[in-house]
Formats: sequence, C-alpha cells, structure tokens
Amino acid sequence: MTRSTIKKTSKSTSIQTTKADHHIAKLTALAIGLHVLEAVFPSPLPGVKPGIANIITLYVLIQYGFGTAAWVSLLRVFASSLLLGHFLSPTFVLSLSGALLSLAALWLAQHLPKRYFSVITLSILAAFAHIAGQLLIVRLWLIPHAGVSYLIPIFAFAALVFGIVNGVICKRLINSSHQIS
Amino acid sequence: MRQLLLLLTNLLLISCTPNEPLYNTQTYVFGTLVDISIYGESDEKAQAVATKIIHQYNDLHQRLHAWKPSELSTINQAFASGQTPITVEPDIAKMIADIAFLSSQSKGAFNPAIGQLIQLWGFQNDTFSAHKVDTESVKSLVAKRPQMSDIVINSNQIHSTNPSVQLDLGGYAKGYALDMGVAYLKQRQVNNALINIGGNIIALGQKGEQPWRVGIQHPRQPNAIATIALPSGWAIGTSGDYQRYFVLDGKRYCHVIDPSTGYPAQGMQSVTVLIPPQANAGVLSDVASKPIFIATANARVEAAKSMGVKHFLVMADEQDIQVSDAMQKRLSWLDTKAEKQLKVIQLD
Amino acid sequence: MIKFSRDRKPLLGDWLVIVIGAIAVIYLFQTLWSNAPASQLQIRQADKIIGTYDLNQTRELHIHGPLGESHISIDQGKVRFKQSPCTNQYCVHQGWLAHAGQVAICLPNQISLQLIGENKPYDSLNY
Repeated sequence: MTRSTIKKTSKSTSIQTTKADHHIAKLTALAIGLHVLEAVFPSPLPGVKPGIANIITLYVLIQYGFGTAAWVSLLRVFASSLLLGHFLSPTFVLSLSGALLSLAALWLAQHLPKRYFSVITLSILAAFAHIAGQLLIVRLWLIPHAGVSYLIPIFAFAALVFGIVNGVICKRLINSSHQIS
Repeated sequence: MRQLLLLLTNLLLISCTPNEPLYNTQTYVFGTLVDISIYGESDEKAQAVATKIIHQYNDLHQRLHAWKPSELSTINQAFASGQTPITVEPDIAKMIADIAFLSSQSKGAFNPAIGQLIQLWGFQNDTFSAHKVDTESVKSLVAKRPQMSDIVINSNQIHSTNPSVQLDLGGYAKGYALDMGVAYLKQRQVNNALINIGGNIIALGQKGEQPWRVGIQHPRQPNAIATIALPSGWAIGTSGDYQRYFVLDGKRYCHVIDPSTGYPAQGMQSVTVLIPPQANAGVLSDVASKPIFIATANARVEAAKSMGVKHFLVMADEQDIQVSDAMQKRLSWLDTKAEKQLKVIQLD
Repeated sequence: MIKFSRDRKPLLGDWLVIVIGAIAVIYLFQTLWSNAPASQLQIRQADKIIGTYDLNQTRELHIHGPLGESHISIDQGKVRFKQSPCTNQYCVHQGWLAHAGQVAICLPNQISLQLIGENKPYDSLNY
C-alpha cells in the first residue's frame, strides 16, 4: 500500500501494485476471515476470545512495519463488522477500542531492544492493551457499575495466555517465512 | 416479553438462593444494635425465642441504666449518700461480685466504679457531643480513687466505703447479655445461633455444615480487615476508639477512659479479643479487651496475660498492628495492606 | 524491515514480560476478588426491614427514624448515608460502601445499611 503508485493517464486511472501489496491484501483478507470465524464460534466465557486475528497484525508489523500493521488491523475491524452486521454497534466499538489501544501499545513496544524482546512480548503487551481498551468501554459506557471490576482478573488472565500462544505462533510463522525466502 | 423476562430472572434468583433455615432479626437495645441469627429452627420457634431474648435484654437494660432511674441508679444514690447498706436482687449482687473480681484481675484497668468520670466526659448520654472538660474536675475525681474493692457485699446487702463510687456497667452489660442469651437458647433447645450485641458476638453451634463466620471491622474504613470462624461457645469482642468518640481541636476522645489518669485512652484504634468456650465467655469478650486497650505499648502482652487472653489483635494505627500467634492462626485476612504490617507475638 | 531475532524460543525479555504479566494477573485476582462486589442493599429501621434495593441504580432514599429523616444515596454499585439528623454523624463519616458484608449503622436514628452479595464473606460483623 505504501509502495503503490497511482499513475494517471489520459484514458484511465491504473493503480500499479507491488508484490508486497498483494501479499498484504491477502493477509488482510485472512485477518478478516479469522475475525469472522472467531465471532461465529461461541466462546465458553462471554467476552473471552483468543484473538487469533491479532497474529496477522503482529506478522505484518514485523514484516512490513507499524504503518501497514495499523492499516491491516483497522481495515479488519471495519470490514469484519460490516460483514457481521455489527457496524457501529457496541460490538464494533469494543473491537475498535481494543484494536486502537493495542496498536498504541505496539507503537511504543516496537522500540524495545530486539535482542531481548521478540514478537512474543509484542503479542502479550498488545493482548493486555486490547483487553484494557475493551474494559474501559464496558465500564464507561455499557455497564457503568463497579461490579465490572470483578471480571478484570479473568480477562487479564485470558489476555496473558492468548498473548503468549499467539506470540509463539506468530514467531513460528515469521521463522518459516524467512526460511522460504 | 417483559413479564417473561421478569419471571425468568425471578426463577433464576430463587434457584440461586436455596431456602436456608436461617432466621435473623435486628433491634436496638443497650443503645446499640442487637442482631440475632438462629439456624435450623422453624421460623415460628426462632421468632418466639428471639423475641423473648430481646425482652430479657430490654429488661436488663432498664435495670442497669446508668443515667435514668433504675436499680443501678438507686444503688449509686445509696453509695453516694453514705454507708447504709441497700438490699439488691441476687443476680445484681452476683454481677457486682463478678465485676469486682474481674477488676482486681485487671489491676484496676477495668473499673466500672468510675461512673462520675464517664459522666464528666459526657459519654453517659444518648446524644453526647464534643466539649471541653475541666482538668481540675478530672484530677479531683481521680484523686478520690473510686474502685470496685470499695464495695462491700454481704449476701444481698451492699454498700460502698467510698462515696465517689458510681457504677457504670457500659463495659460489662453487653457481654453479660451474650451469656444470658446463650443460656436461654440452650434452655429452649436451640442448638445453632449467633448473637451480636454492638459488635460483641457469641456463637452457639454452627450454620449448617459451616461454622459461623465473623468479620472484624477496620477501625478507620467501612470494611472488614479479616474474617474468623467462630466455633460453638466462642465469643469475640472489640474495644475501638471509633465506636463512641468526639473530636475536639483535632484530637480524638474515645469512650474508653483510663481510670489511672481520668482521660480517654490515647494511641489505640482497636483491640479485639477472642474467648474460648467458658461459662462467662460473653462477659470476657466485653471486658478483657479494655485493659489491653488502655495499657502502654510494652504492657499490652502483660495486660492480655493477666486477663487470661491468648487470642488478641491490636491495632494502634495502620502501621502498628500486633496479633498473637494463636489469633493469627485463626484469622483469614481480607486487608492485604494491614496483613503486611502485622507483627506476630509469640505467647508461651 | 524490523530485524527481530530468528531464535524460535522466547528471549530473556520475553520471559521477563511473561513473569511480570503473571504477577500482575495474580495481583489483580488478589485485590479484586478478595472483596466481592455487592449487588443489593438492605435497609432496616429499628427491627423492621424497610426494603431491599438494587445497588445498580442512582437513587435517593429518605428513611424516618426516631430523630427524623436520614438521607441515603445509592449510586451505581455503592451507597452511603448522605445526611443524618444525629449529633455525631458517624454514619455519614463512614462514607461509601460497595462490598458484600459491609455495614453502616446510625445508632441514634436506628437505621442500618447492609450490603448483600452472592458470596457474603461473613455472617456477622465484630466492631
């Protein structure tokens, strides 16, 4: 996307795309697919979801940089909600706030020294930020009740577990893609 | 649709709270809250028993009232007017003898003979308020040395060799009432009950499969700092500077008065004692915390020992919390901040 | 673009983050689960239960006692004595109550507030 160039000729507008653009587009489609898949499957605990689509965000962050990752993440949130018919509903707002906070965490965390911190750290921090963003909306808007604090430990625990798992999966993906190239 | 939802939530609520055979009633006696829970009896019987206990309490309160005409105030008048003996009811004579014994055991730290000091500080009043107390009056009242040992008991005839002796059983009556309540429950063959009089609690039996559980109030916050299981026959009592007090010029004056100085005890927020089963467990839960509350920092353990107390929790302030090893074993802490400040005292 | 280590295993920093994360989760469980939030409020005047109220609302209640009217305010999960005709105002100074088992009593006006939750941590309060 960042490398696309738009050439305006006299007759038509053609967008020249790079190989990377195609790859990113495929990844975005995959992220949307994973997001929708997760939304369709019922969760044993309402609100607790593995967030496998975040693996794609992390993968894109490592391979193509923060700007592209932000695009993929936000595109996924908007497109999935449109597909599921959640657009502008509370579910969408929860998704968006989670994605925005988790992007903010990634933006800060990408400056960590790479010798000591791998994508696993990024995944855990993003997962915590994601849940923080969602709980913030729940507490401020959806359920303005002190009782919500009771759920925080459960969500935090889920965030830690899925953060580690997603991070490990993403690390393997990156390693295998390096081996291919 | 709305009705259906309501019905569903009601069903859910009913299924969540199985109908426990637990009867509870609250009322106000002794100027404080009396809370009686009875487990495992029919509501009719529990209610009848609780009502009778509350009647007994009201009766006791009338008889022992320190600042309204009562049997106790008649005794106090007789004490003040000279050494002519006065005839009292046998239970009151027994009570006074018991108090004299406990007072000597505490080396005078527990001293219900200082009714005049309590009145001077304004605590003999339903609606007491902050007021200055004349230091000279305090000094002269302390100098008159009213003590329980000044009272002479001759079967049901009593008199005082010291006219300044004025009884105030505010630190005894609630504990006495706990023992009285348990005696009546046993008489009526009620095996499981919990009586709470102004924070002093005694347990009988247990609540179903579980022992009765009691929360211990934080002296400065509206929550419990810890909980403790109260097995059958055990009693728990707290003296706190937060129960009855007034603040004057930024200084807190609480209702526990040190008989040796005549001033409210300073530098202590709360003392909780746990008393194992014995005939006067209720009385001890009320009385035994006071000598510890009044004692100076290094005399507290000694004060507890003299009252035979092995289980105590002492909060001088948020940073200075002491607990005896036997007490610590039984406590489940809720307040993690307080738990970190704990100093466990090994008693031998 | 960003060159991360190709090692498959978590790095030193990853372990650090995992450990800190685990500690944070344990801390959250300890602090937020030790006091169960209350869901209902029971108000008594003398020996009568005046009523049981949902805590999840904003509401002002006026309860009559021997001294006069006490104002009680419920505010989304918490409750307090807002105004009381008593001399010492201990009940007002108690402040907000939000956890199951918490109690505020106004002895002079004979009004008690008690919070009821699913898991009441104790049967009675020693104070």
